[in-house]
Amino acid sequence: MNDRQREYERLIAPIEDRMMRAVWRVSRDPDDTEDAFQEALLTVWKRWDRVRRHPNPHALVLHICINAAHDVLRRKVRRGKWLEAGAVPEDIPDSSASALQNIAGAECDAQVLQAIGLLSKNQARAILMHAVEEIPYGDIAAAMDCREATVRKHVARARARLRTLLAQQEEPSHA
Amino acid sequence: MHDDMDELIRKGTQVEVPPDVEDRLRRRLMEFRTRVEQRPPASLMRAPALRLLAMAAALLAAVAVGLVLIPRQSSASRVYAAAQLKSSQSLEYTIVLNATPYVAVDFSFLAPGYRRISCSWGIEVRSDGTTGKQIALFHATRNYVAEVGKQIESSDDFLEQLRSLPQAADEVLGEQRAGGARLIGYRLHKAPPNTGIPGLLAFDIWVDAATREAHHVDITIQEKGQPAHQMHIQNIRAGAPIDRSLFDLTPPAGYTAIVKPSGEPQTVPPGSVQNTWALRAEIGQTGALEAVVVPMTGSYLQTSAALKQVEAYLKTKRVTPVGPPLGRFWSEQHWETGYPVPPGTQAEAPFQVVSLPAGLSASVVVNGAWAKDSDGRWGAFLKSVIEQGYLPAGPAMEIWSGEDAKESTQSTEMRMPVTKAN
Repeated sequence: MNDRQREYERLIAPIEDRMMRAVWRVSRDPDDTEDAFQEALLTVWKRWDRVRRHPNPHALVLHICINAAHDVLRRKVRRGKWLEAGAVPEDIPDSSASALQNIAGAECDAQVLQAIGLLSKNQARAILMHAVEEIPYGDIAAAMDCREATVRKHVARARARLRTLLAQQEEPSHA
Repeated sequence: MHDDMDELIRKGTQVEVPPDVEDRLRRRLMEFRTRVEQRPPASLMRAPALRLLAMAAALLAAVAVGLVLIPRQSSASRVYAAAQLKSSQSLEYTIVLNATPYVAVDFSFLAPGYRRISCSWGIEVRSDGTTGKQIALFHATRNYVAEVGKQIESSDDFLEQLRSLPQAADEVLGEQRAGGARLIGYRLHKAPPNTGIPGLLAFDIWVDAATREAHHVDITIQEKGQPAHQMHIQNIRAGAPIDRSLFDLTPPAGYTAIVKPSGEPQTVPPGSVQNTWALRAEIGQTGALEAVVVPMTGSYLQTSAALKQVEAYLKTKRVTPVGPPLGRFWSEQHWETGYPVPPGTQAEAPFQVVSLPAGLSASVVVNGAWAKDSDGRWGAFLKSVIEQGYLPAGPAMEIWSGEDAKESTQSTEMRMPVTKAN
């Protein structure tokens, strides 16, 4: 096994499944997922030397994957393709409980994803890495090349914004 | 409350990858793995274009040296051999930059103006100097860029570079046998004209005693702070039949075009990221400047911290920078960053005053985040410099404008001293 093979075994092989899941969970379309995955791999290839030297290369690679997937999601949401595809139901089950509970049914993933697509890049990437990939704040900070406090701020703002967006999505059903 | 929201996001995204999608992604991973395993060492990836051009020029000089050295007692022979080479319809050679892992570039030229450069790391450029058409193939990503209206040096142009010929070798190395051929070695301690090989220790050309043609060349270089490294030019064939399909400008099946705007550089609104492939280096004179810098070694990620040190130092000296921060990069073992300052400014260690002389430079301003796609940008920049008939003649330099906290305001001027290729 040469040096490069050893590097691949150390840096990529252990997280191959996580990389694929990270992209699929956000893109949710076979073609978009493949495109985003390819884009992510290209970025990893270009930054290979940085990945090799990074204190937490796995977090960095997952961050790159999430970035690529989120770019796809943002484009889709902005183009309105998301709505056209009927992924977001117009009627949200009525309930007297909170907005969060209202959308906790079968359609919630679509709405959650759409809301994530409306977040700023940093907020979306931070919350996805924290809540979905369960990467520690310190590692997210290293991957995003910023301070841990900044990551916490992004996550807090992402939560607040998501809450607002999800509540807004609920409103039409009460009108 | 936070947990509720996190849980909701988790639930909304906890899905398994369908088997058919997983198959597709695994195929991509396999391709990627192959690419990684074939990846050249970092030191060779940093400025491949620069090395290649130096090597390309070196070969031509090497062939020329061979023609001069062997028949130097007879000027008639030399003239005949040179003429023969000039009239060659084709020229092929391989530059082996690294033996293990194997990193090499194949060059092919065919009259009247076809050229092909194929890198072992998956990039290939085919061009037709007679029509100004060129196609760059990126085999790793199965993309291509097709261009028209380019000023492409033809093989004749390359062969014309044979005009500057050294008259004699510094040292005769003796003989060796290779594949039944008797080779005679000659060593130059200085790079042949126009080659600009940095850190050259030895340039050994081995010439076939029977045919008087260059057989191979061994080049030993040692850049500052680096161990000595040997490269080879081999498989040299002048005037041999050559497969025309090597120069086919038709995109291979399954390759996707990367759209590159043609003509003049794009006008890019502030805050947007410029298409890397649209980069066109502008060649022109730049003025001299002085700067206070801190010499650095190691990761470029230290740039921001290093600049803060320089900034703080200048503040204590009550020196106001006369422009945005800059960095000059030879390698990760040798780079510096700092601020331009008024002439006559003094500095104490570890800070230094450096003078950047006025001269011919290539430059371009790229809008977007400072660190964005640095490799891609510099690759495209060097490609543009070379295509315009110039060679790098100094370190890469970046000048960073905009606000630290606002990516949308950021832009980078890429600049590099250059010299005319011939």
